[in-house]
Amino acid sequence: MSSPLSRLAWNFRHNPKRELWFAWWMMDIFYQLYDVLFFFVTRVQPPASPAWSTPMVLQWFDTRHYGILAGFGVVFLISGLCAPMNALLAYSMRRMSVSRVFGYSYLIMYSLSAIPGMLVMAIAMTVGALRPDRNPEMIHWLFDFAFLSFSGTMGVFMIGSLVWLVAILIDKNGVFPKWFGYLGLCNALTEVVVAPAWIFQRGVFAWNGAIAWWINMVVFVTYTVCFIVLLRKMIEREDFGDGVLPDLPPKVERSQPDSVGAMR
Amino acid sequence: MTNLQESTEQAERKPARFVPGQPDMWVFVLFESLLFTGYFSVYLIGRIQNRDLYLHAQADLDLRFGIFNTIALLLSSWAIARCVQASREGAYRDALRDAFLTIGFGVAFLVSKVIEWTKEIRLGNTFTSNEFFQHFFFLTSIHLLHLLIGFIVMGVAVYQLWSPARRSQQLVETCATYWHTVDFLWVLIFALLYVVR
Amino acid sequence: MTGTFNKRLAIVWLVLTLMTLAYIWLDHSADDDGVYRASTVVTVAAILIALVKVRIIFREFMEVRHAPALLRRLTDAWVALMAVCLLGSYFIGSALAG
Repeated sequence: MSSPLSRLAWNFRHNPKRELWFAWWMMDIFYQLYDVLFFFVTRVQPPASPAWSTPMVLQWFDTRHYGILAGFGVVFLISGLCAPMNALLAYSMRRMSVSRVFGYSYLIMYSLSAIPGMLVMAIAMTVGALRPDRNPEMIHWLFDFAFLSFSGTMGVFMIGSLVWLVAILIDKNGVFPKWFGYLGLCNALTEVVVAPAWIFQRGVFAWNGAIAWWINMVVFVTYTVCFIVLLRKMIEREDFGDGVLPDLPPKVERSQPDSVGAMR
Repeated sequence: MTNLQESTEQAERKPARFVPGQPDMWVFVLFESLLFTGYFSVYLIGRIQNRDLYLHAQADLDLRFGIFNTIALLLSSWAIARCVQASREGAYRDALRDAFLTIGFGVAFLVSKVIEWTKEIRLGNTFTSNEFFQHFFFLTSIHLLHLLIGFIVMGVAVYQLWSPARRSQQLVETCATYWHTVDFLWVLIFALLYVVR
Repeated sequence: MTGTFNKRLAIVWLVLTLMTLAYIWLDHSADDDGVYRASTVVTVAAILIALVKVRIIFREFMEVRHAPALLRRLTDAWVALMAVCLLGSYFIGSALAG
């Protein structure tokens, strides 16, 4: 008779896939935290408008003062969680029949992308919120800097998506289904759509616009949910070989709980 | 009646059901259509808020370009549909010819699009001129991007058809499915940008 | 067999092209001596013609005619969904704009 705790301990010490599962859980935790921090604690998403006047921007910072400082404080602590996540993605490319170049380029690109994609916004926003009595023009500047760097630097993510999707489409080991490769194309194209945010201060292409943010978010969230699920399936199917990744065996009814949980 | 005639007639009456190309590509087609429908809805709502501006700006468009572009893509779709049939029959030389025709009509679309953009820009209508032209340049650009990807996809199709060592019917059909999507998306864009009032 | 398929494809292309040319007439009917006027009839007609063309492309060019029931129903549902979104955006937008 084994308890969940003893099973966990056994897996921690002996499961050959423990690093993969660790990376997957870190990714899951990271995304959950990211959502909570950006949308509910700091409330910097959904984004404010680039068309606002300085007094409105000051008011925005005012209502979010503690949220921004606390929320981004946590973001700075957890930003390292990106690493196992990117490693898992690069690992998926290593398992494919494609050249290692794909995995390595992806890893380099995404290691760098966390800076403009998340950290610059966090830094600019905390600096903006730190001293509410600072020169208002300066605070407005930080506001623009934060949102533009967050939304406008989609290029790295787009290229990363392209690298991954090309790998998936030419992969002969069937690590990911082809539809996910095509979905990656939708995702990459939707990131191109954010580019006009650099030009417009209002309308559908502004950084908070219906096209540049809202529709883009729907695609991005769909894509992210899909790859979280597919990475989980990949780990379950992993056989540490070099050939075609086998499919999962069909579910069999178990009459008693198994004492060893390592088979996944 | 010969056996061949009989079986041909039977095949005509009850074709076996099959999914054209990889089912995966159909996921893309349906998802992308939804995405574009989102963009179109945003355009229509924007249009209604500002009818006069949009009508005035729209008058600068030349319907002839739109008609030419639509017919060019319809011809290209026709060509790739014929290509798929030919390839299914094993008539690979015909299939290759049709594939090149598809690309040719796609290039005609591309050239016409560039000429049209140049004309509009000369008239003073750019991406940042007004809301209508924001949508116009956005929709036509993102569509053109799909067309350019379409050329890569057609490259894959030609590569498959070229050598007897390859010739995966499923892959050729998958490429065709993508190309038809580029066509029907344009059908919608044309109606919305050029004709809708 | 190729002969019958090719003939069918040619007819489909012709129908689609004629529907495209019909837009020229629709376009001219919308204008008052070259001045563009808003028109619900023209808008709805343009959208519906486009959607019929899309369905024809699905069924004939993309061979959904020969596809299993799921794909046929899915593509029809998609055309219906696009109709609802496009016409919906137009009419609801009009109602909101007053």
